[in-house]
Amino acid sequence: MAVIDRAEPVRGITLADAWRSFRTAIGLGWAIESNWSDPFLFAVYTMAKPLAAAGILVVMFQVITQGANPEFLQFLIVGSALWNVVFGVMSGLVQSILEDRERYRMIKYVVVTPTGLFPFLLGRSLARVLVSFVAVVLTMLVGVLFLDVELRPNLLYLVPATVLGVVAVIALGVFMAGWCLQLRQEAWSYPEAIAGALYLISGAIFPIDILPSFLHPIAYASPTTWWLEASRRGLLGHGSPGALGGISDGMVLLLLAVSTAIAVPVALAAFAWFMQRARRAGLLDMTTGS
Amino acid sequence: MTRYGSTTATNPREAADWSTGRVIRTNLRAVVGRAYPRVIGLTREPSWLFFEIFLPFLAVSAFVFVYRALEAPEAFIGFVVLGGAMTSFWLNVVWMMAAQFYWEKDQGNLELYFTAPMHLMSILAGMAIGGLVMTSSRALAVIGIGSLLYGVTYDVQQPFLLAGVFLLTMIPLYGMGMLFASLFLLWGREAFHLAQLLQEPIYFLGGVNFPLRAIGPVAGVVVATLPLGVGLDAMRQLAFADSGVEGVLPVGPEVLILSAMGVVFLVAARLALGYLETLARREGRLTLRWQ
Repeated sequence: MAVIDRAEPVRGITLADAWRSFRTAIGLGWAIESNWSDPFLFAVYTMAKPLAAAGILVVMFQVITQGANPEFLQFLIVGSALWNVVFGVMSGLVQSILEDRERYRMIKYVVVTPTGLFPFLLGRSLARVLVSFVAVVLTMLVGVLFLDVELRPNLLYLVPATVLGVVAVIALGVFMAGWCLQLRQEAWSYPEAIAGALYLISGAIFPIDILPSFLHPIAYASPTTWWLEASRRGLLGHGSPGALGGISDGMVLLLLAVSTAIAVPVALAAFAWFMQRARRAGLLDMTTGS
Repeated sequence: MTRYGSTTATNPREAADWSTGRVIRTNLRAVVGRAYPRVIGLTREPSWLFFEIFLPFLAVSAFVFVYRALEAPEAFIGFVVLGGAMTSFWLNVVWMMAAQFYWEKDQGNLELYFTAPMHLMSILAGMAIGGLVMTSSRALAVIGIGSLLYGVTYDVQQPFLLAGVFLLTMIPLYGMGMLFASLFLLWGREAFHLAQLLQEPIYFLGGVNFPLRAIGPVAGVVVATLPLGVGLDAMRQLAFADSGVEGVLPVGPEVLILSAMGVVFLVAARLALGYLETLARREGRLTLRWQ
């Protein structure tokens, strides 16, 4: 039978559509992240990595200082704990997009749905982000209970700093996800490489004054530097040792807001361009075998 | 009448009756064949070169700067650089030995390995030899760049013993990888997560960034079970003889422990492989991807 009636035009994507896609992707992401094992092993996996990473730093600190300079230990614990979020967000976004392209081969179908990839990607990676927040809480808890870390939270400062920081880190992750779609091979290693480089320059576990001077401008330009600094002030009541510690609280928050305000539109524009290029070059259904 | 290999056989049973020499030659060919892509990958895949040097080097740099911030003695910088180089081998063991059979199953190669006329230990040995050669170049680069950039000075009074301890460490380390290859395959979809799990916790327990004695009584357990930890402890004693930092045990007993570990892990790998093969054939899971 011939089709004589024209189909109804597809209506524009509404917020409700995007929300539905986001919510479904959260469930999918959680299932993929957690159903590979029984709850006990999953809990061990969630706890062992961040605690071991913090443990390495604590032992290094104890070996050298024999427990002197507790402020530096607090600096280490908070930096090490919060870094789980940076790594969780970046690897979550990148691995979600790569797994759906390379392994499950679903990304092309998601892209052609009316809501598109973006809300799906955010929801799909949220499980890893949540797990990374569990790691933050756990590391801080161990710090408080066993290592005499004294928390003096200032919520009026901490909450906006956390919101801005997480938005900035998600922006970096979105940029990375788009970028990794363009890569031929080894895209899986990029989040680790970029997160590792940021770890080095953001003052996560040592004051940025220790870095060679040519890296200082990059450190000051990174939103992760200001997020960690603002979070330390919001959690501990004092900043990092060194030059960053001398900057006022208001200025640190302002610099975090400015760097986030730059990072977000740049990341969104880059992601849109990367997606356009991926469509044109046929990268959405490509498998690299990596 | 069918021709199998170099002799003419009258029936399949006769064709399958290989001489010892032929069995050995075939298995050696399998070792070389499986090592080949890893050795040749040294030059053909520059992205591997970049990531396998760059990532350990980033971690090394971060820990070096932590020690600098703590104003630690210079020997500790050397400990971190040596530990960073050894993590290259550990990463190779975890990702390219332990998790490899799981990837091979996903790609459809594993069933070919099982049906080919050679022992799976030859495949594992080829993977280990190729991985060792490939990773040695990365580890040397990390040591070279790290030492130059951070001014590490070594005090090696027994270079041959140091080289011997390094080689002796590699045997149980890759033996452990062979054992894990079978276990990861049995554990299925957990392989990726288990490989992830075997990083930071092992760096912590293995004393990659600090002297192993610093973790207290747990160091005794590590020396008895983890080749990376005991090998690194012995190598630090030999490479930084003037640092004044003591190992968990003197080098002699640690060499004996490494030798024993080598035998234990290789035998365990052989047994695990036999069990895996039986199980895989019985349950028919060799061709099930993503399980």
